[in-house]
Amino acid sequence: MMPKRSLVGILTILLCLPAFTWAQSKTVTGKITDATNGIPVPGASVTAKGSKTGTSSKADGSFTLTIPGATTTLTISGVGYETQDVPVAADVILISLKAAPSNLNEVVVIGYGTQRRRDVTGAIAKVAGEKLTTIAAPSFEAALQGKAPGVQVIQGSGLAGSGSVIRIRGIASIGAGADPLYVVDGIPIIADAFLRTNSGGMNQNPLASLNPNDIESIEILKDAAAAGIYGSRGSNGVILITTKRGKSGKPSFNYNNKIGISTYANRPDFVSGSEWLQLRQEAWENDGNTGKAPLPGGVTWEQAQKNNTDWWDLLTRTGFINEHSLSMTQGNKLVKSFVGATYSENQSYLKNNSYTRLGLRTNFDFTITPKFKATLSAAYNRGINKRVPAAWAGGLGDAMSTALPIYPVYNDDKTWFTGGANPVRRMNETIWRNTDHRLIGGLTLDYEVIKGLNVRVNGSYDYLSGIDDQWESSNWINDNTKPGIAKRSPYRGKNWVASATATYNWNLNDDNRFTFLAGTEFQEKSFINRVYVEKNSDRPFYKNKALYEHALDSIKQTTTPLNSPAFNAETFASVFGRINYVYKERYAFQASVRRDGSSKFGPDKKYGVFPSVSAGWTISQEEFMKDLTFINFLKLRASYGLTGNSNIPSGQYYFTYYAGGQYNTAPTLYPGNVGTPDLHWEETQNTDVAVEFAGWNNRITGELAYYHKRTTDLLLNTAISPSTSFGTSFRNVPGSEILNQGIELSLNVKVVNKKDLTFSVGGNIAKNYNELISLGGLSADAAGGGSNDTRVVTGYPVGTNYLVRYYGVDPNDGLPIWYDKTGKLTKTFSLDNRMPVGSVVPDFIGGVNHNLTWKGFEFTSLWTFTIGGNIYDGSAKRQDGIVTDWVIRRDLLDHWRQPGDVTKFPRLTMNTGTYNGLSSEWQYNSTMFLYDASYLRLREVSLGYRFDPKLLTRLHVKGARVFVTGMNLLTFTKYPGGDPEIARDFENVTDRNLSPNITYLTPPQQKSWVLGLNVTF
Amino acid sequence: MKKIIYSLLVGCIMINASSCNKFLERKPSGAFTEEEAIKGDADLQGLINGAYTDYSNKVYNGKFQWIEDLLGDQANGTLYTGDDGEIFKRKTSIFGDYKNGLYTDVYRPAYIGNKVLENIGKATTARNDIEGQAYYLRALTHFDAVRIWAQPWGFTADNSHDGIVLRTTSSITPGQRSSVKAAYDTIIADLKKAENLLGDAVTLGYANKWAAKAFLAKVYFLQNDFPNAFAYADQVIKSNKFQLDASYANRFSIGLSKEIIFGFKFIDNNLYPGGELRNRYRSDVGFSAQGRFHVTDQFYTAATTAGDVRAAAWYSNTLAPGYHVITKYNKNNFDVAAIGYTEIKLIRAEAAAETGGANLAIAITDMNELLTRAYGGPSKNLAANALAATVISAARRERELELVGEGNRIQEIKRIGARTNTNIDRRGGRWNCPGLALQFPISEQAANASFRMNQEGGCD
Repeated sequence: MMPKRSLVGILTILLCLPAFTWAQSKTVTGKITDATNGIPVPGASVTAKGSKTGTSSKADGSFTLTIPGATTTLTISGVGYETQDVPVAADVILISLKAAPSNLNEVVVIGYGTQRRRDVTGAIAKVAGEKLTTIAAPSFEAALQGKAPGVQVIQGSGLAGSGSVIRIRGIASIGAGADPLYVVDGIPIIADAFLRTNSGGMNQNPLASLNPNDIESIEILKDAAAAGIYGSRGSNGVILITTKRGKSGKPSFNYNNKIGISTYANRPDFVSGSEWLQLRQEAWENDGNTGKAPLPGGVTWEQAQKNNTDWWDLLTRTGFINEHSLSMTQGNKLVKSFVGATYSENQSYLKNNSYTRLGLRTNFDFTITPKFKATLSAAYNRGINKRVPAAWAGGLGDAMSTALPIYPVYNDDKTWFTGGANPVRRMNETIWRNTDHRLIGGLTLDYEVIKGLNVRVNGSYDYLSGIDDQWESSNWINDNTKPGIAKRSPYRGKNWVASATATYNWNLNDDNRFTFLAGTEFQEKSFINRVYVEKNSDRPFYKNKALYEHALDSIKQTTTPLNSPAFNAETFASVFGRINYVYKERYAFQASVRRDGSSKFGPDKKYGVFPSVSAGWTISQEEFMKDLTFINFLKLRASYGLTGNSNIPSGQYYFTYYAGGQYNTAPTLYPGNVGTPDLHWEETQNTDVAVEFAGWNNRITGELAYYHKRTTDLLLNTAISPSTSFGTSFRNVPGSEILNQGIELSLNVKVVNKKDLTFSVGGNIAKNYNELISLGGLSADAAGGGSNDTRVVTGYPVGTNYLVRYYGVDPNDGLPIWYDKTGKLTKTFSLDNRMPVGSVVPDFIGGVNHNLTWKGFEFTSLWTFTIGGNIYDGSAKRQDGIVTDWVIRRDLLDHWRQPGDVTKFPRLTMNTGTYNGLSSEWQYNSTMFLYDASYLRLREVSLGYRFDPKLLTRLHVKGARVFVTGMNLLTFTKYPGGDPEIARDFENVTDRNLSPNITYLTPPQQKSWVLGLNVTF
Repeated sequence: MKKIIYSLLVGCIMINASSCNKFLERKPSGAFTEEEAIKGDADLQGLINGAYTDYSNKVYNGKFQWIEDLLGDQANGTLYTGDDGEIFKRKTSIFGDYKNGLYTDVYRPAYIGNKVLENIGKATTARNDIEGQAYYLRALTHFDAVRIWAQPWGFTADNSHDGIVLRTTSSITPGQRSSVKAAYDTIIADLKKAENLLGDAVTLGYANKWAAKAFLAKVYFLQNDFPNAFAYADQVIKSNKFQLDASYANRFSIGLSKEIIFGFKFIDNNLYPGGELRNRYRSDVGFSAQGRFHVTDQFYTAATTAGDVRAAAWYSNTLAPGYHVITKYNKNNFDVAAIGYTEIKLIRAEAAAETGGANLAIAITDMNELLTRAYGGPSKNLAANALAATVISAARRERELELVGEGNRIQEIKRIGARTNTNIDRRGGRWNCPGLALQFPISEQAANASFRMNQEGGCD
């Protein structure tokens, strides 16, 4: 029997039917496009205002709708677009939808293609190019800091041109590089920061020569769905750099200018000369000696007491920043072009240290026929880095270590003081300059074979030439018979990539859209060293080119080759495919696979297959969500896949021998490398689940993501017995595994959204949990540099501070008290009592920004932060430990002097033996020098004014903006040793992976103010 | 571009095609596989030459000597810090790049020696000489290692105490320590094979029969095995291939010394022996009391007695005011002896006196030859009827003075301690204290969890 309520319902519907039947109706058709780029908008909702009659736009943006005759207005809404009411003024209606403040319809660059953000099923963070140019960062990647969730960017140091350590979703490797893959316009480029090794205590960042003003956007691919298409190189994430291209229309010019000043963000505090002497004497007497303490450097007490040299001050200055970029864009039916040129000089706060960039880029897009298109891109950049040594190599590193305040700069006879470190002498008596030339060019041919099927062929070339010029005066080399010595050591890197892809867009019907991609790619990269030349000269070779040419001519007459054989040669050969499927504009699926062949791996391990699958569900498109009007967009996405890491030097699987120089005029032969024939990549299983959302009329947008990465077959370059006479050998450790899992949240809230006043607050925070699950039974000391005091310990993060725990000072005798392994107190220091006590991996990283606009004014800020984790200060062992020939940090004044004193540091001593069990200053591996790494930094603050275009028309100017920006103006930290943003420049990748928060005389970050002008005309 | 398009069009539609496999082979440029590298005499000798070069540049360039001298009691180390300070204070730890780096380098000759021996079937006409050099290289490694990474011969009655890792094959396997007895047995066996296989001719820079005998004399001497030490030293001396340099200036010179039994020859633009000797001992350029050799007041007084020619030849108080420095190495370049005639004379003298009988006269003659040179005449010579004890005492004193700055003293502290159970160390250390054996690099234990490290704890 039918329930009464149902019966009433049916009757009601039946009663209503005639009303619909009797009403007059009409049919309208139309097409919906994106207002910014004219691309059709599928899946947009079209309803007759005031009724429930509606439809959705098809894949080509078109729609057909029968509406009541009285309907005068259509309401058009699309995900990521502002809702529009359109009058029904004609039978065919063309509608351009404006993007909503959320960016769901923005085009996102993915590997070998693009996608609308709403269709993306992988974890991709996009940073617009304009966000990279507000500050005077030493290199574009440093400007990513705090702008993408889960992307840790630690700027190397305040040195001009310094590179950054970038970790995407944690550290997933020990012995192989954990740096991401950098791809510029489809070319995996040379990005090794140590092509010149670690000379001068600094990396040689090849990315610094790229002009940030040329960058349209940066996409950071984080999970397997996104990075999987890069196969054996995707594990560490991929950074896609897309450069600007020409736009349709008349020529339009843009001029950018920044001028400013720079200084250091933080300065460690060291004691004065008289205090140093006092502390030394105290240590000497504590050790039971009488009389005056012996002084280093050959200075007498009388001489020492006269000096209070501020070496830091003598080596630093206020740097000057000066940048100019000019670009032009134009486009017609045949060609669109972008031409940009730049000149910039960024002086660091260190005297004689600057980075000068000169660049030219031309990007052409040709439409030869409607079906045949070509793009030609070429960029030349020259970077001149006026170098100074730093950290362990001297310079400011000396001022933080062995250049004592009791040393003079000059002796009484006005000659340089040479008894101890004298970085001022070095600064004045030597010249060091690196010149990098970089050419990146590519030609792409794109042909539409049939409708929807495009075949694309690309050939690209990346050429890098680096010249290291050094000059040393006769004074420096202690040889007055020579005018000085000029030295030059150049290297060259070349890298070609060739790829062919076929993309087929197949719209089965309005509800089923497919994109198929199949491709193949080949790459070869290699380096050569040009012959090293050293000649007597009163100036460097770049000022004495004739002498250099003459020297080369002389070498040509000998048997010495001008170029070394190619080294670090590597090749990749790959095939890949990807299928994207979108159903009803709300379900997106993707499957991809890449088969990589790599020259880096052993004969039976050449090829690896890296598949991924992913899906996205736009829940907000579902009918059941229609009533939740406060939700504009809600998407759930998930992915799973494999990626690899092949970031190790080439040729490691070979057991090699090399011919060496002569011995007693006879030939020599040396063993090179202990080969490992089954060497292969590390493999990471990635899982990613995320929710993307926008609500309250798109005023709140954000994303919450969870990821889980298990990396196995870890590559290790250590733990072979040194009595084999080999220090290192690469191998995969059986059964080894690293876990990274974490949560990322990004949120943007538009608090005020009025015509003349907007205020938004945004930010991101990420938590990464890192754990070494297994290292195949190897001990904690199996990986990690001896003096870096970070280790790998099963059950702890990669990069665990492995230290003896410091309890405090015995108030009775002033001696240090330690914990032994069991937790008992002991007064004997022993490296056997080292324990995992800290981690270089922070608990949380992120950034918070605000944006306030009022009329033409714009006030923005970006705060970056890390919460948790530890800094280990390797230099504090000597600045705050045993009194040696090093400077002393001011916090050591809090030391024991007499019975009853409760202090942070023990009694002073010059003798390591005073602290029972301590063998040397370097082995003082203790928590005494372990600090909380948390900090909050005002990374960027900027005030700008955009002139009213109407006022500029008379000047034939389309737009103009002025701004003033500060970088690193404020830093809040508990770390007493200077700057808490630290990445020691470790050439050794294991050290680099384990020790991002380890410092050893690292120069602090740069603090700068710049005044900028941006004019479009 | 042409290359790129060619590669795309022609190559590798199927990427595991054979051409693609070739594309994916990138052997490091200039590298050879073992099959390519080692084919015959020239290649085997090339490997040995490489080992000599490495030994000359990385071990006996002064680094080995400096570590020995830091362990000794002649240096005034008040200002030494870091790795130097740790070694000087005789409490080395599992870390310390300077010491640990030397450890790896010390083992290179053994690796090469083993590699050569494993390929000796490829040798033809020069087989004996090559094989002899290979055994000699292996002995060098083990003798260097056992002298500073283990307690001395005589530390235990049967010398079963922990020695070093013996490497008698080239396989890359975790290290395991042998006993000191096994180490000395292997060293002696290898040197005896070398002695029999090597040729008579002496060419500076290469192992020869006399070098093997000289090292045998030194090995036996450190075992306090005086009959054998005497016998081998005697053979070297009686070869008449070497003689004492009349002038101390020639001991470290370019081509002037007649004393080098095995060592390395300075060749401009090719080989610069003694780099670390100049870095660590030189007192005329770049001297710093924090990192260079300067001797204690006590030793300086003993070394510069009236009439001692060496006082003026080898010491200065003015080059670095306030410090007693040596001038032995104050030259830009010189040949370096790994074992020299003065030392062999001293070994024969002391071994002769120890064995006594007819040998005592030989001992006195040897000593008087050295004393005459040292004091510019016979004023300090021993009497023809001097007692053995007097000769031994003189030999030990002169050994210290002759071989200053050559790393000798620490071995004497250990040897004489083991011989007489007396502590001659002027720093008050026991001859068998833990700190006189360097700690092994932690990486031995990282590669082999059961590796037995040395006891730490210094010599206080």
